[in-house]
Amino acid sequence: MSDILAGVLFALAIYWAVGATLYRMIVWARTASPLPIPLTPAPRTRVGVAGRLLLEVFAFRSLARATTITWIASLLFHYGLLLVMLMHVRFVFPELPLALLPFIQFSGWALLAMMSGLIVLLLRRVLVDRVRYISSPSDYLHLALLMAIGLSGALLKRVWPTNLFDVGMFVRGAVTLQWQPLPEGFGVLIHLALATILLLIFPISKLVHGVGILFSPTLNQRER
Amino acid sequence: MSGSHTAVAEPVVQQHLDLPGTLVDDWHDQAIKRLGELVDSRRGLRVFLDTCTKCGACTDKCHYFLGTADPGNMPVARQDLLRSVYRRYYTWAGRWFPWLVGARKLDKALLQDWYNYFYQCSECRRCTVFCPKGIDTSEVTMAGREILASVGLGQQYSQEIITKVNRIGNNLGMKAPALANVLESLEEDILEDTGVAVKLPLDDPDADMLVVTPSADFFAEPHVDGMIGYAKVLHQAGIRWTFSSEASEAANFALFTGQHDHMRDIALRIRTAAVKLNVSRLVIGECGHAWRVAYSFLDPLVGPMKFLEPAHPRAQHICELTHELLQADGIKLDASRNAGKVVTYHDSCNVARGAGMGNKEGGQLTIPRELLAASVPVVVEMSKDTTGQRTFCCGGGGGMLTDDLLDVRIKGALPRAQALRAVVQTDQVTHLVAICAICKTQLSSVLPHHDLADVQVSSLHHLVGDALVLT
Repeated sequence: MSDILAGVLFALAIYWAVGATLYRMIVWARTASPLPIPLTPAPRTRVGVAGRLLLEVFAFRSLARATTITWIASLLFHYGLLLVMLMHVRFVFPELPLALLPFIQFSGWALLAMMSGLIVLLLRRVLVDRVRYISSPSDYLHLALLMAIGLSGALLKRVWPTNLFDVGMFVRGAVTLQWQPLPEGFGVLIHLALATILLLIFPISKLVHGVGILFSPTLNQRER
Repeated sequence: MSGSHTAVAEPVVQQHLDLPGTLVDDWHDQAIKRLGELVDSRRGLRVFLDTCTKCGACTDKCHYFLGTADPGNMPVARQDLLRSVYRRYYTWAGRWFPWLVGARKLDKALLQDWYNYFYQCSECRRCTVFCPKGIDTSEVTMAGREILASVGLGQQYSQEIITKVNRIGNNLGMKAPALANVLESLEEDILEDTGVAVKLPLDDPDADMLVVTPSADFFAEPHVDGMIGYAKVLHQAGIRWTFSSEASEAANFALFTGQHDHMRDIALRIRTAAVKLNVSRLVIGECGHAWRVAYSFLDPLVGPMKFLEPAHPRAQHICELTHELLQADGIKLDASRNAGKVVTYHDSCNVARGAGMGNKEGGQLTIPRELLAASVPVVVEMSKDTTGQRTFCCGGGGGMLTDDLLDVRIKGALPRAQALRAVVQTDQVTHLVAICAICKTQLSSVLPHHDLADVQVSSLHHLVGDALVLT
């Protein structure tokens, strides 16, 4: 019973995260934009605009102009997280050939990058007066949640032995609505529960900035 | 409070704009409703309110924060005045967990903070340059001011100007006969100075080109010398041009107050005057936000101007025109006529970050510099962090150029003054050049407070006009 309940909850979280994020994208896209407000000098072609957005999304160009420490910490966190998430693909699809995931041998480094990035971001939020002034409890909690997910993941990797095949079965079962037993072990339950929370809050919190930036008129409009 | 609080619009002014004269009884509900309408009708505003991660990148980028050290002037703090209310009334998390996500109910104290801090923003968009989400604080400020005005709390300075431009045709309330007098006496001055009969026509029905310029150009120093410069260039190029008494103002203060309907009406005057005078070219004088409106908003506001000649299908900046003439050898500039002057260029925020110029990306930064280089023997640049796209606002833009905000204006000019002082010390700079009426007025009046009274603030076209070989 609790297996099914956990499966349903996890499935809901995943579909909610995807569905609600898509919904928000639709709302942004459908909101009128009466006056063009690109930040100039702006590209005059669509290709140029795509380049501008790619630089923002993948290199955080504006942040690099603003503060080097936050820029480096953000790069470490986001790229660490990206690699860690890509490695999770193999937990869900164990038959996937390793050649498709050549970076898997660096998983420890990726996790370290992600965690050190998060620590610097948290320190900055606490220690820099200006940033502390603008922080709400949720700003700290987002960092804490991500750190807890990373930490429980690290423990699963090094300390708490886990049957990854069972985890993959559970996740695949949840997504395809063919419920499978919860994997054994306290640690993995914690990790899954925290991930569920992250999925639930993603579309309704500031975390949605990752897609929101694509709709930012100052960046995605061209000068004509 | 003296010098940091701007007077609320008088009832008669508000009513002229079809707005309530004083704070309405149900201001809370009205303000929340208006906020919802604005979020639903302006994508930028909605995305900007939704995507801020409080990363802090903007916190030390605003000239008003740097000048006042008031944390309320950090761009993200300014946005949060509106964002916290948006979260409380229009997001799930804010409705149920306000304490968690920094959501607030709108009360009288917060409304007062809106008024104070949305009128300590010049909408210059410098913070946007550094925001990894591209959040534009000016859009939030404009929305905040729009909501305030809609519940009865307009700003006297901006709203009164909007009523003047609506009624009389320019921000100063100068009527056609007064304008004609000014232009006539300027013609006499030029004749006396140069021996050449340069005309400054008003409502000339045979003109091919309409020039619309900020009304400060008609009488204020150092603006008027710039206007004399336009006239000399146009004379030398042999262009038949005119001013219009009905559209004797390029500025559009409704941009500052976020009132799109009024912005359209004010922009429409220019189109109407151009049609009436049957011109085939439209040129905008040295005015920062007017150029943003002309370059970025004229088409969406009043439709494409198909009556303009195909070679120049949209409004041109006076710098663009002069630059074209210079490149085509239509005019000659002799920099030695400005010998002894050491000049530096202040990029005006609305030109640098809100518009373009010419056919190349970044032309708004290069064209004025090329004109200066051709007009003056020595041009030096201020620190790169304070020019180009990263330029610091003069401290008086966006509806801030009023005496009741003088204290904030002086403090807001601090970063510009520091950069200027550096080049005064290293290169003995004598002139600070700008192409914006607000920049010129503001910098002339506040630089003395920063011990920079010896630096002459100049119109770009003043120096161009002095270097011009006039025949």
